[in-house]
Amino acid sequence: MNTDLPVIEIQNLVRRYGKHDAVNGLSLTVRPGKCYGFFGRNGAGKTTTIKCLLNLLRPDSGTARVFGLDPRKDEVAVKSRLAYVPDMVAFYPWMTVRDTLEYLASFRTNWNRDIENDLLKRFQLDATKKTTSLSKGQRTQLALIGAICPEPELLVLDEPTSGLDPIVRREFIETVIGAYQSGDPTRRTVFVSTHLISEFEGLIDEFTIIESGQNLLTMEADAARDRFKKIRARFNQELKLDLSGALNVKRSGREMEILANGNSEQLLAELKAHQPEELKIESLTLEEIFVASDVLKKANV
Amino acid sequence: MLLQIDFKSGTPVYLQLVEQIRHAAASGGLRTGEPLPSIRPLAEELRVNRNTVAKAYAELESQGVIETIPGKGCFLKEVGSPLTKSARNDLVIQEIDRAIVAAHHLQISDTDLLALVKKRLDVFERKNKAAND
Repeated sequence: MNTDLPVIEIQNLVRRYGKHDAVNGLSLTVRPGKCYGFFGRNGAGKTTTIKCLLNLLRPDSGTARVFGLDPRKDEVAVKSRLAYVPDMVAFYPWMTVRDTLEYLASFRTNWNRDIENDLLKRFQLDATKKTTSLSKGQRTQLALIGAICPEPELLVLDEPTSGLDPIVRREFIETVIGAYQSGDPTRRTVFVSTHLISEFEGLIDEFTIIESGQNLLTMEADAARDRFKKIRARFNQELKLDLSGALNVKRSGREMEILANGNSEQLLAELKAHQPEELKIESLTLEEIFVASDVLKKANV
Repeated sequence: MLLQIDFKSGTPVYLQLVEQIRHAAASGGLRTGEPLPSIRPLAEELRVNRNTVAKAYAELESQGVIETIPGKGCFLKEVGSPLTKSARNDLVIQEIDRAIVAAHHLQISDTDLLALVKKRLDVFERKNKAAND
């Protein structure tokens, strides 16, 4: 297997609903073994993009490739190597948990029974229960078991933890790390779209922020935290400093909060020259970078 | 040994793990021959990517801090650096220079800096003693 071949490659993807451009020229590349975050506000085009990867929607133009294949032409080959957990999971109401897992397993060439048993135990799911009697959290857990047992090369998660309680969310992420990532690292790629960025922060290697169907920012997580920093300074009097190099400056009397975009050293030096009473610097978390999207857009970074 | 990740520190996550484990080794939080947590449970507990923990352990191994015994896991190695004394001195000098520069900018006098170094050495010694008692 060619390990350099991107698992997902999207180029200039466009998908319209009527006159509305849901996805408008998006490009991104997910390399094997990575956990890729896909962040965007409601309606930014995340789910539409994912549906194009799964051939649930057809692009109007541009290309979406999964494992180097076109999901429209090689749908079965693509789908047999990935698993998908949507935000709203639905099961056949007449089936039990056991029936549902057997049904899902019947479509797969590989199904790891040990993982299935471990996860049923871990989530304390009763296999004899009807799917209609499961809570929202339990339904998501069942969907996750169904996605991990085939040991797919790609796990696609679309807002998987929204609407779940914090303990279920935590277990979900631990399961993705533990049960899914414990296989051959080059054949364990995660593509996750989420609003709950802070919970996935430690898992994300690289991310894209999508805005109005376009790529606003793509970076590696460590590099992003190194580049975007927040500096807080307090002086003994109000100062008129020229901080034009900053991404954003908030002032309140003698205090200021400055957003640095890869130039924190230079900004720190300028501030230090005015003998601050207090000077603190910290990295922005991925969630804070996402929240700062508007500022990023204006600054054209 | 308890580890924690701070995404606001600006240090790459794997390096935070490397630094904390080295710190634990220097202050008695982890003793020679003691096993490090396995990669999978540690990654789950910290909720960080499994590859990040694996990268930290690989880095520690290449630095000679830990060793992997197949089938048994990773262990803290006997203190014994493969580097010559002058090479080791050079590495420590870089760190000392950084502290001197920081002290200068923060207007901390030479005497106070030396006193601080002595104080920190005592802290590590006490921790080590407590860990070995």
